[in-house]
Amino acid sequence: MNSLLTPAVAGLSAGGAYAILGVCAIFTYRLVAVVNFTGAAIGAAGTFVMVALTEHGMPLFPAVIIGILAGALVGVMIGGVMTKWFSGASATTKAAVTAALLVGIIALGLRLTGGQRPHLFPDLVSGSAFRFAGVEVTWGSLLTVTLAVGLTIASDLFLARTRTGLQMRALSERPMAAELIGIRVRVLALAVWGIMGAVTAFAMMIIAPLRSPDFMSLSLLVVPALAAALIGAFRSFRAALLGGVLIGIVEGMVSALEFGARFRGVVPFLVILIVLLWSQRGARWDAAR
Amino acid sequence: MKRLITLSVLAGTTCLGLAAMTSNAAASGPTCDGGVIQLGGVSSVTGPVVFAEVPDAAKATFDQINANGGINGCKIEYTIADDKADPQVAAQAARDLIDNKGVVAMVGAGSLLECAVNAGTYADNNVMAVQGLGVDAACFASPSVSPVNVGPFTLTTAMLQFADTQLKDEKLCAFFYIAGGTAEAYTNAIKRWEQISGKTIHVLDLTLPVQGDLTAYALKARDAGCDAVLTNQVEPQIVQWINTVDAQKLEGIDWLFLAPGYSEGVASAPATSQQPIYVGTEWEPYTEASDANKDWAAAMDAAGMKKTAFTQGGYLAATIMADVIKSIDGPVTRESVTAKLKEGIEMPYSIIGSAYKFGDAPSHASMQATKVMQLKSGAWTLNTPEWVILP
Amino acid sequence: MPHASTRAALSTAISIAVVAALIYFLLPKYWVYIITPVFIVGVTLQSLGLVTGRTGMISLAQMSFAGVGAWVTGYLNVAQFPGGLIVWMIIGGLAAVPVGIAIGLPALRLRGINLAIVTLGFAAAFDSVLGTITYPGQTAFIKVAQPAWFKGDYGYFTLVVLVYITIAVALEYISRSRLGASWLAVRHSERAAAALGVSVPKAKLSAFALSAFIAGVSGGLLAGYLGTLVADNFNMMQSLALFAVATMAGAHLTQGAIIGGVLITLFPELLRRLNLPQDVGSVFFALGAVQALSTGETIGETWARLFRKVVPRRKGADLTGAAKGLAPATKHATGIALEVKDVTVRYGNVVALDDVNLTVPAGKVVGLIGPNGAGKSTMVDAITGFFPSYKGSVLLNGTALEGKSATARALLGIRRTWQTTRIAAELTVGEYIRLAAGPISHTELTAVLDWIGCPGPDTPIASVDAGTRRLLDVAGVVAARPPVILLDEPAAGQSYAEAIRLGARIAEIPEKFGSAVLLIEHDMDLVRRACSSIAVFDFGRVIASGPPQLVLALPVVQKAYMGIEPEGAVA
Repeated sequence: MNSLLTPAVAGLSAGGAYAILGVCAIFTYRLVAVVNFTGAAIGAAGTFVMVALTEHGMPLFPAVIIGILAGALVGVMIGGVMTKWFSGASATTKAAVTAALLVGIIALGLRLTGGQRPHLFPDLVSGSAFRFAGVEVTWGSLLTVTLAVGLTIASDLFLARTRTGLQMRALSERPMAAELIGIRVRVLALAVWGIMGAVTAFAMMIIAPLRSPDFMSLSLLVVPALAAALIGAFRSFRAALLGGVLIGIVEGMVSALEFGARFRGVVPFLVILIVLLWSQRGARWDAAR
Repeated sequence: MKRLITLSVLAGTTCLGLAAMTSNAAASGPTCDGGVIQLGGVSSVTGPVVFAEVPDAAKATFDQINANGGINGCKIEYTIADDKADPQVAAQAARDLIDNKGVVAMVGAGSLLECAVNAGTYADNNVMAVQGLGVDAACFASPSVSPVNVGPFTLTTAMLQFADTQLKDEKLCAFFYIAGGTAEAYTNAIKRWEQISGKTIHVLDLTLPVQGDLTAYALKARDAGCDAVLTNQVEPQIVQWINTVDAQKLEGIDWLFLAPGYSEGVASAPATSQQPIYVGTEWEPYTEASDANKDWAAAMDAAGMKKTAFTQGGYLAATIMADVIKSIDGPVTRESVTAKLKEGIEMPYSIIGSAYKFGDAPSHASMQATKVMQLKSGAWTLNTPEWVILP
Repeated sequence: MPHASTRAALSTAISIAVVAALIYFLLPKYWVYIITPVFIVGVTLQSLGLVTGRTGMISLAQMSFAGVGAWVTGYLNVAQFPGGLIVWMIIGGLAAVPVGIAIGLPALRLRGINLAIVTLGFAAAFDSVLGTITYPGQTAFIKVAQPAWFKGDYGYFTLVVLVYITIAVALEYISRSRLGASWLAVRHSERAAAALGVSVPKAKLSAFALSAFIAGVSGGLLAGYLGTLVADNFNMMQSLALFAVATMAGAHLTQGAIIGGVLITLFPELLRRLNLPQDVGSVFFALGAVQALSTGETIGETWARLFRKVVPRRKGADLTGAAKGLAPATKHATGIALEVKDVTVRYGNVVALDDVNLTVPAGKVVGLIGPNGAGKSTMVDAITGFFPSYKGSVLLNGTALEGKSATARALLGIRRTWQTTRIAAELTVGEYIRLAAGPISHTELTAVLDWIGCPGPDTPIASVDAGTRRLLDVAGVVAARPPVILLDEPAAGQSYAEAIRLGARIAEIPEKFGSAVLLIEHDMDLVRRACSSIAVFDFGRVIASGPPQLVLALPVVQKAYMGIEPEGAVA
């Protein structure tokens, strides 16, 4: 049993990372109705700005702040594109736009950060908190998981309890109608993009030291993140939190499997599929039209 | 532009025609039609993994040869083609060089996947490739390609040999990330070490993820009681690996990496790590100001290029190609260059530990020697002053 | 109709052949080599256009299907399987089919963006597997052998173009067949498709299967083109880029697929000519795609529109003659055609239908009236099988229908229309009727359209106004000649005169087509004109039933219905 527990605990920090990004993906989807393939890339951009500044000798704290702002800025820029030209487009078109943007951003990011040249990623929090099941649980991974939980609760409360949250839900469901009752749609949408950029940038800064620190790898974290969001059916923050953690743990656990090593990469996919088919078993028909 | 291309294609064809007519005529030294010898290489200049320094150094080397009057009066025109690590682009770029540029040989390329994609094309067109940095398995297993570097597979064997004989580690473990076509090559490299040493590998894991958390793998190494762990990761993943083992407070394991780890980036990124970290080099360690590096260093200084390991590959490949061309009597054509390379003359250089050889063989891996570097407080220090040469 | 599809297929085949011949005879070897993948990518794009463009299911795993085809081709090559590349790539395509169906299975429950992410997850998982498998023959330098007749750059170009034309022509035929129409119908509305007797699972799975087959063939073509392959040819980023290009170029159209192929294939060449690094291409691709997508029209559509401006599409002739050629009424069983017995439906705590009993005799038109929210449409949904469960029983000619799906009930002979029309606008009038009615002769088709007053079969639905589409709904169900037809407010949105005319037509249905009709309608004139008896609903219960004049005069009906609905009082 312990032979599975150890890798499961080891996967916890990755799981927290997926959960944060997954919650952000749902937030974006629910509020501006975009499945955002560039989510992780936006965060990666902010993180690399921070790294560039610390590499040039700037103290950590202001560099982090500027990095977060840079993430927000990139988010707002992509949000600007989406709201200017695609506010009325279909979900497929919007997905295609962010997919295309991802290809471009990765190319730009690789060029600007020097391909696979590693950078010195400062640990925002260092050291290990405690040891459990033979695994050093670092403050970094604890913070990741805490942040994921906090973000989930905050998102839930924000959407359900605050006036702005209600306005934003109105905005995503009926942009035209929202405009008519006097909500400044574009400003709110850009605010969502900015906040998501800032949050993912900060999350990425915590995650990055324990991931492959190149632009492409960090940008492609969007795949497990979207998988986590999918477990939440792009609606439930809590389910996405659990989904993200689950994917991380499963990834950790399969690394301990000895059989079928070649097919390990498929296991997380199968887990997602099973969870989904079970949770969507009642969805016999498409939305009435 | 287009006319120029057409002209050079025409020139190429005439060159071929002349070759057929004059091959028997006695001549001394290489000659060329129009005073130009076309060479090229398909490299990953942009994309997820960049080896741009390799062809850049080759180009700089050729430029210096041209500036000194060329080879027997012939100027070398060297074309760098980018493949963006995209196989289809790599295939098209190779055809462009062969069909349109009329190159006589490929030289000084460094690419993530070019050999796998193009080795067949080269064989079909009788174009030989002196790869500046062979990365994928096909570079070391093709009749048409002979890289000037040791390569990850031979280096795997060499590093295990080093850990076994010099570090005296008992339980050797290896974790590999498998890109297409490398599983057999790495397994064979392990088997070769097992044959040489008569020992067996303690743990062999071929499932290291490119992207993903490594904690579970680090713990697996610890729980298996490995004394030394070898991985085939590239720069960012090496940093990630060291960060991970530091976070997990692992101790008493020698960490072995292949040549991609031998870079300033890796040296500076985990600056605080106290882990024993060793890397194998492809050539004479570039951070050493040794006699062996003198010519290369001079060439790079003259070109104003940064001295990195990759530039050694480009420089070496260009130098070898220039020496091959110099030894040709008569017109320099695809046929004459290929024939010369296939003669398989051993070409020793001080920057490499075993002589370079092309030759007419189904596969090529003439580089069998490495020097091992150790990371000590953020700087690479030479651990083995003598070459570790595989038998 | 076969004429139209043959004409379209021929024009597709000829125009591609002409372009290909120009390339073949005018361009040098290298350029032919460079242009060949335009058509290979074109084939892959068509496969994506089929599943995403036509059937509306976003697939981000298309290159994975191609990878299966390519690898199988490689194995067959190494094994020297008889038949050569053409046979190998067909087998490769077939090998991709089960994978396509496996990815299609989640699509039965997952839609839209959820499905897209599942396919993306599959692509990522497939990457991790394919990445570890060496391409067969690579280590031994056995290149995938090109067929003897199609060797070399020119020869292989010819083969690729032939395959492209074959697939384009086949898709042209299929897209105009009932199967192709069912894909569009499913994309437009799954419920409406099921109500037409289309099996939604079959439509979705067939789309995925065919798409995977075509993608697999494209993988085989790529294998023959490059000789050996690496996993990067088929990785997730390639699938993502392919999806963006398909959306931008409109890959469900032949010209769109070729434009997409040009964009993907020739851009690297352009950069080589300009001496620019290849990653610039990715940035340009992102900017170009955003620009193209922001126009709200795919490049393929733009070209088709411009083309139509030059060569105007022949407008379908309007039909004017009397209802000639209508086959005699179908003989259905006599007696009670449809019986609803003690049916109760609950939405949570709300009782939408409360122990409802209703009969529709064969050969009669029965009206069902009641205020909004009385449960009339719920009733139709229950009868036609759109509720997973209800209490009570629905019988068709005495046979209980419980446990039968909506599609099965439609096929058994209960057809319905919807309050709002749900016809896919991409179809033509004729294609829609064929989709609704199944095999039907051309004479019968035109006769039905003529009877109800619809435009000719070649008219695109997109050019038909909303009122006429409502008529088309009715035409579709009667053309199927089922024993029972349920019409849900067919006159909504019609003018008074149109409603009167429609009433007369509905009254004729039993006589002309042999079907019994349950008509839900607010327009009392229409109800009086068409129905031989009516039932009145209120709060999910039948409060009165009998001949129209008697029932409408009942005080309880006056109070429940007329009191609330002022238009009813006028009537």
